[in-house]
Amino acid sequence: MSDLLLENENARRLVKTLGLPIPVPEKLARAKGPYEERPLDDKKVLVCGVGALQSVLAQILTQAGAYPWVVGTSDEALEPFVGPGEAWARPPQRVEPGEAPEGQRIDAIVFDGTGLETPEDLRQLYEFIGPWVRRLNRSGRIVVIGRPAADAKKPVRAATRAGLEGFTRSLAKEIGSNGSIANSVFVQEGAEDRLGPVLRFLLSPRAAFISCQPLHVTKLAKGDEAPETHVLGGKVALVTGAARGIGEATAELLAAEGAHVVCLDRPADDGPTSKVAQRIGGSTLLVDITDVDAPERIAGELKERFGGVDIVVHNAGVTRDKTLARMKPEQWDMAVDINLGAVIRITDRLLADDVLRPGGRVVCLSSVSGIAGNRGQTNYSAGKAGIVGFVRALAPKVAKKGITINAIAPGFIETRLTDAMPVAIREVARRMSAVGQGGKPEDVGQAITFLSTPGAVGVTGETLRVCGGALVGA
Amino acid sequence: MAKKKNGWGKKQRAVIVAGIRTPFVKAFGQFLKLDTIDLSDLAVKSLLERTDLPHDEIDSIVWGGVILPSFAPNIAREIALDLRLPASVEGMTCTRACATGLQAVTLAAAAIERGEADVVIAGGSDSTSNAPLNLPQKAVHALAPLAFGKASTPGDYLGVLAQMMPITDILPQKPKIAERTTGEVMGESAERMAKRNEITREAQDEFAARSHHRAAEAIASGRFDDEVAPVEAPGGWVYADNIVRGDTSAEKLSKLRPVFAKDGTVTAGNASPLTDGAAAVLLMSEEKARALGYKPLAAFRSWAYAAVDPADQLLIGPAIAMPKALDRAGMNLKDASLVDMHEAFAAQVLSVTKALASKGFAEVRLGKSQAVGEVDEATFNVHGGSLSIGHPFGATGARMVTTMANELARTGKETALLGICAAGGLGAAAVLEAV
Repeated sequence: MSDLLLENENARRLVKTLGLPIPVPEKLARAKGPYEERPLDDKKVLVCGVGALQSVLAQILTQAGAYPWVVGTSDEALEPFVGPGEAWARPPQRVEPGEAPEGQRIDAIVFDGTGLETPEDLRQLYEFIGPWVRRLNRSGRIVVIGRPAADAKKPVRAATRAGLEGFTRSLAKEIGSNGSIANSVFVQEGAEDRLGPVLRFLLSPRAAFISCQPLHVTKLAKGDEAPETHVLGGKVALVTGAARGIGEATAELLAAEGAHVVCLDRPADDGPTSKVAQRIGGSTLLVDITDVDAPERIAGELKERFGGVDIVVHNAGVTRDKTLARMKPEQWDMAVDINLGAVIRITDRLLADDVLRPGGRVVCLSSVSGIAGNRGQTNYSAGKAGIVGFVRALAPKVAKKGITINAIAPGFIETRLTDAMPVAIREVARRMSAVGQGGKPEDVGQAITFLSTPGAVGVTGETLRVCGGALVGA
Repeated sequence: MAKKKNGWGKKQRAVIVAGIRTPFVKAFGQFLKLDTIDLSDLAVKSLLERTDLPHDEIDSIVWGGVILPSFAPNIAREIALDLRLPASVEGMTCTRACATGLQAVTLAAAAIERGEADVVIAGGSDSTSNAPLNLPQKAVHALAPLAFGKASTPGDYLGVLAQMMPITDILPQKPKIAERTTGEVMGESAERMAKRNEITREAQDEFAARSHHRAAEAIASGRFDDEVAPVEAPGGWVYADNIVRGDTSAEKLSKLRPVFAKDGTVTAGNASPLTDGAAAVLLMSEEKARALGYKPLAAFRSWAYAAVDPADQLLIGPAIAMPKALDRAGMNLKDASLVDMHEAFAAQVLSVTKALASKGFAEVRLGKSQAVGEVDEATFNVHGGSLSIGHPFGATGARMVTTMANELARTGKETALLGICAAGGLGAAAVLEAV
């Protein structure tokens, strides 16, 4: 069922005219087409905060096509932005702290909090961002950058760093009705050169349905320079459950970036799987992932037909909902095995046989309701929460090979599954997110695609929620 | 293996022997009745007359054009036939937007250096006055059966008519200088570049005024007499460039209204005008030139072509191509005795010089630790440029090569750096050296 409040202009107008106490969600701006050289073309980005990343931000933002508006009390603050500004003809503009000049609007705010040391320093968030919140254009972006709390030696510093995350999560709820999102990024010292692709993604329309999330950028996995366009050229990608929904959307997006996508689904779904593969110029692989010999067959086929694989997206999943007391053993087994057991078996096999090539990317599908807990989903949640533990533990083990492994936890995404929900529950679930609406399969696909790119090398072992900033969830 | 013949593969130096152009005339003026082939004929005829070149020495013609005549796009061959040159004079025509003229000349130089030819006439022309009006594809497809005699019955004719509705769909399209991929008119791109590079209206007008003053002085002093040949047009003889305004000033130019944006800075006064004209350059192997008794003017030390994203800064290409040509020549900007840049728009020229002077640009875009350098006003576009002289798209590169080659020969200076921006985000550059 389509979202009336989003898709139907008359319904939107009616609610607004009658002044009904229903918040009308803002239509989210979404990306069209593959990765661009300048994802932030002509955008005005407010850069504030006192930290070590000013030069890095200057380079990233101007190259991505944005005009930096730098908060500072003197032109000294502009200094790091002058050179890159000349290189890309994006001259910086200075704005006084604590004031937003009349009529000026911005598209994004980037706060550099890498220099914050004490709780008093957190006041910068209030002072620098506060005046501009109402000046953020629709589908605006806020990214708060800090250092990881876990890396801090002094507890007071750890506390300050952790504070950034709470601030961002709450701010996200305040700007969601505008279609805007806010996320935090924690950059390990020495991993600054890996921030660019993350920032380009989070500030772009590709991150439309990602809000309230923290992301960690580390130097853990080995990596080289990454392309900015045609980001998956020459790569082979395996997508399980590719016949429809999120899998289909992901396969399309990966192919649009130049990857050859191997679409895997059950033999019973031959028709739709082949159709997807044909449309995107990919290949079909029909395997039931719960079969005992599935890992061997998949590894064998990938090795033989493509010489290996660079990207593995474990998207196939099932629900077998029942309260624990009423659950049949096969319901338990099926949900846990498909959602977790098969994922581990296949990944292990691809790694053991060196079918997953160096610099590889693995993305596993978790779930917000799985992590947060949901009545009737003990089996599903055990599996989906298990994924979180799996990627966290495996990431350091494969980092030397330049391989990253992450999880994506979708929130309420408009698919066949959610169409089948009772109207009232569906309506409530939709409005629970900060942006007041459900996501689309492509939103999840965009996040998966990003984590599959060479540029996302700094992100590993993470679970990224694509939930529009839902109230529930870990 | 067969023995190599006629110097094929022989390494030899290509030299510029002479260059002649028609006067550059504002579009829809005295050259209205002359199409691009007529103009080319006039330029090449003048070149042959001035140099007394024996026709049987000519190996080939390499010509360039941007608005090519669809009935005879290989202008080079038409020139040879029109001027009754020996049938053996082969010809090809190239196109590279506003860098077309330079492309034709460097193609000729490359052919000579490869031993493919010894004597080549290169150049380019354009007649904006004779740009074809295109019918929309819909009209073309509907009319095709009539044009090719496929329609025979009254019903067929009615069918053709029926496809012609609504009438607005089949009206000829107004030609405009717009990027095919972005739809942006070039003036709008210049306007955006002015904004992004913070080039003021005053700076643009001052630059334009200087261009006019320098060109006017060159004309008045007779400096251009060696390279501009009077031509006979249907309305009478045309002796000199007619766009140059020696009496203009930044103050006068500041009164013009912006054309491409309400609060913009690009005006008819600081943008190059639509122009008709042609320019021809005679290139030879050095050996041949000496044997025929010519004194070479200059030679190419290097050239370079580059491209940037046209959706970003359409006309910044020279800021990439010029350093590339300098690198290939083993030179720095300060080593160049002269710098000559095509002036599409004052805003574009000043954006490029600003980029060249920027350390940030050099670091990020060129991977250099130092700025390419400041362009010295005294040695930069010493005789004006496209803003004042005009800009027949295909001819400009050949005009610049000629003027700089003559300048080197006259002044005894050593090198000249050329830079040209072009549609599609292209940049072109070359380094000329004295011979």
